[in-house]
Amino acid sequence: MVKLLFFGRLSDYANGVPTQIQASTAAEIRQQLVTEHPLLATELSEPQVLVAVNKQIVDWQQALQDGDEVAFLPPVTGG
Amino acid sequence: MSLSDEQFLRYSRHLLMADIGEQGQQTLLQSHVLIVGLGGLGCPVALYLAAAGIGRLSLCDADTVDITNLQRQILYKTEDCDQLKVDCAKTALQQLNPAIDVVAHASEISAEILELGADIVVDCTDNLAARQLLNCHCYQRATPLVSASAIGWEGQLVSFDFKANRRLCYNCIIDENAGDPTMNCANAGVVGPVLGAMGSLQAATVIRMLLGQFDQHGEMQRYDAKTGRWLYLTASPKPLCAICATE
Ligand SMILES: [Zn+2]
Repeated sequence: MVKLLFFGRLSDYANGVPTQIQASTAAEIRQQLVTEHPLLATELSEPQVLVAVNKQIVDWQQALQDGDEVAFLPPVTGG
Repeated sequence: MSLSDEQFLRYSRHLLMADIGEQGQQTLLQSHVLIVGLGGLGCPVALYLAAAGIGRLSLCDADTVDITNLQRQILYKTEDCDQLKVDCAKTALQQLNPAIDVVAHASEISAEILELGADIVVDCTDNLAARQLLNCHCYQRATPLVSASAIGWEGQLVSFDFKANRRLCYNCIIDENAGDPTMNCANAGVVGPVLGAMGSLQAATVIRMLLGQFDQHGEMQRYDAKTGRWLYLTASPKPLCAICATE
């Protein structure tokens, strides 16, 4: 199982999403959310969403380990 | 060159600090910082750096002041509407600190402006293309880059000391080919003090870098003002980064 964290405005779409999930990559987590949480899955498919595993920014395909914390961060480019 | 009586008073709260002092203030007075974008981030950055006595500030922004800017762009007044931002900013900053040099560039950022030899570039732009351009130029010229952004309730800060570190850059973290996200401040809104918080952090980072006290190359800070939470993230160099994997 990995722990999930949706940061910033992504948390607005994460009501009812389990805090832990069984998945081998962040991309797979997104795929698992499509049916029950389509709005969140859509937000996660935006360009520039960052994935961090244990506070380290990684690729969506990075292999996850049991107990990892997977954080999703929406893009912030304004100024 | 020693400080004048007026400078001793003006900068006395820096001079009291053991890790700034007269020598540190001299360093600030001899520094040149380029601020790209004079919007919600650029305003607090410019105000704090002018007040701190950065000897030369170059300002770059092609826009004029619009009434929709006044909710967050704290350098401008209602009567400034339709005037060039860099001109209004220069006037306000010179009133704050008449002894520093403020140079206004009323244009989009260009190679010409980036080649004027600033010690640090502060990225206060509002789009990805400009951020990538600054990253590329700063990397090539080994100029430190302090980059922030904001939207809604959220802010982001990431800085690069390209003089000391030749691996890991903005492009390693934010892929230039992935394109701009659909949400921006113009269509999604932004809370003024979030820009103030991130701009203040940029100004503090610039001062820290100029004084040689920076060691967070490529570390990202994220702020969610809606929950009051911060997140600190590290990043790794991308193996095939088009900017920094070529040396
Ligand atoms: Zn890079």
